[in-house]
Amino acid sequence: MQTLALYVGFGLVTASILCIGAIGFTLQFGISNLFNLAFGATMTASAFVAYFCNEAGLNIWLSLVVGSLSGAALSYLLNRGIYVPFRGRTTSLFTMIMVTLGVGLVIKFGIEALWGATDFSYKMTAGRSLHFAGMVLTTVQVTVIAIAAGAALVMHGLLRYTRIGKAMRAVAVNERLARNCGIPVRIVTDSTWLISGTLAGIAGVILVMDVQVLNPTAGTTIFILMVAAAVLGGIGSPYGAMLGSVIIGVVAEVAAGFLSPAFKDITSFVILVAVLMLRPTGVIRSVASAKEVAR
Amino acid sequence: MSQAWQFYIATLIIYAFVYIIAASGLNLQFGVAGIYNFAFIVFQAAGAYTTAVLSLGPAHTGIQTYILGVHLPFPVPLLVSAVVAGLLGVGLGAVTIRRLRADYLAIALLVVSLIATDLVTNATSLFNGATGLSQIPQPFVHLTSSTSGYDWLYAGFSGLVCAIVLIAVRMIIRSPLGRSLRALRENEHATAALGKNVAGMRLFVFGVGGGIAGISGSVLVSFTQAWAPSSWLYGETFVLFTALIVGGVGSNLGPVLGALLVPVVLAEGSRYLPAFGAPTLVPSLEWIAIGLILIVFLWFRPQGVIPEGRRRFSKDWRAVAPDAGLRNLVDDEHPGLLTR
Repeated sequence: MQTLALYVGFGLVTASILCIGAIGFTLQFGISNLFNLAFGATMTASAFVAYFCNEAGLNIWLSLVVGSLSGAALSYLLNRGIYVPFRGRTTSLFTMIMVTLGVGLVIKFGIEALWGATDFSYKMTAGRSLHFAGMVLTTVQVTVIAIAAGAALVMHGLLRYTRIGKAMRAVAVNERLARNCGIPVRIVTDSTWLISGTLAGIAGVILVMDVQVLNPTAGTTIFILMVAAAVLGGIGSPYGAMLGSVIIGVVAEVAAGFLSPAFKDITSFVILVAVLMLRPTGVIRSVASAKEVAR
Repeated sequence: MSQAWQFYIATLIIYAFVYIIAASGLNLQFGVAGIYNFAFIVFQAAGAYTTAVLSLGPAHTGIQTYILGVHLPFPVPLLVSAVVAGLLGVGLGAVTIRRLRADYLAIALLVVSLIATDLVTNATSLFNGATGLSQIPQPFVHLTSSTSGYDWLYAGFSGLVCAIVLIAVRMIIRSPLGRSLRALRENEHATAALGKNVAGMRLFVFGVGGGIAGISGSVLVSFTQAWAPSSWLYGETFVLFTALIVGGVGSNLGPVLGALLVPVVLAEGSRYLPAFGAPTLVPSLEWIAIGLILIVFLWFRPQGVIPEGRRRFSKDWRAVAPDAGLRNLVDDEHPGLLTR
């Protein structure tokens, strides 16, 4: 029982990081109808920006802010500079997914070419260990959970109670109808990419704060877990992404703890494949059904 | 030519044939039938592993662990590899038969590819873990005693296999089945409405494409004599996709040209060049190049260097050669896979 609580604690930390990223990924799918495979690389790039701020003397929290802003800027530029022009030329799903993949490769291996495949870490301390209900977490890990909870609450408020949030949901479910209702789709799309890019940036930086290792592949594996979380919850749905993240995060860490660390990724991947076979639209299916991800 | 140069050239030729075989298998799945198989490399790895364990002798505990180890003579491992990878393809095809949106299916298959790598790396008793297998016997070693002679002999053999595969794929593409597969690619609902067995065709393509991938893996592993999960990471699938996009999706010669241009020149060609900078610099530059080539080609020339030819049919719907020069033919105005 004691050990279970311990692993659940780690699971909540993983779930928090997944949650922030998965919301961003799923928002991008909802608004632009594409799977942005460059999302993981965006996270890594933001974590590197935060690293250089940190090295330049900024404290870790200010670095987090700069890192997340750089994620927003990069995502905005990718969408406006590359994805939207391609969308204007083709409706091929394959072209779009390959373009995002190509962009991801260029960013990830661009980082590796510039700074090498070495490990970096932030100048920070993990803080003292806190014991709570059988969980043992560092101050930083508790902060990570708090940041995720805060981000989830902010997203909830944004999507439910602001005009821009409602417009985002409308565009995600039916872009043409939203446009005909007078919603400025371009502004809404740009804001969504800025917001989701910010989330990618936060996720990248707090991931490195948690695992304390930064290298060019930092965002890659966890990005696939975020995809799993988003698909499990229902692709396109931010609430689904939150739900999926908690499930994937906790199950992965508990499996890793009780079986072997290798099972951390395997269990979540198996969950993903099972969802795709049994209920491909995920738990909350409104956007997924609207986009016809499964017929 | 010096010994080292002979080895270099022969290796490059063998890699070229292996990539051409794999690219034409992927072309059948993606270019002709329109399935985005992001787990393609798994089938190549499966074929390679099958060949390895069938041609290796019994496992000596302490050196490496694997299953079987039955030491079968030459053509058997190659043929069984094709069958095993093909069956694996049918199995995976059956799993993914639910009508997922094409890019959604692609994500699922990408994850399958990642699971496979994870599983193989951790299942030490089956696959010897991340170390992989080594000392896989060479099939024609008794035919010649000189090392470079053997390399050239093997290059000839892989060329022969490549030719057989290319002819087979060409036959499928030109057959009525190939026409149905292109119909499936262009409009699944319309194809089903015409009474075509869409699910069956999907399974067929998964199976045949997987089998071809298995053959390519088998040919490769018998030459390199080593098998490790790290040689077949998901990124390799995208190298093949890039090759197809550069060469020309759906055409007969596109995969050949693409395989020569992208993986051989870019990835394998630079492998034997003197390294400069940090040890990871050259590989990362290669991947950056792959990413840029993808984006640039999809923007400027999505149909590839050799586009899929426009097919012409006479009035009784028999295919006629594109250069027949007849004007009053029924013309299927299909705009191609990537430019739709």
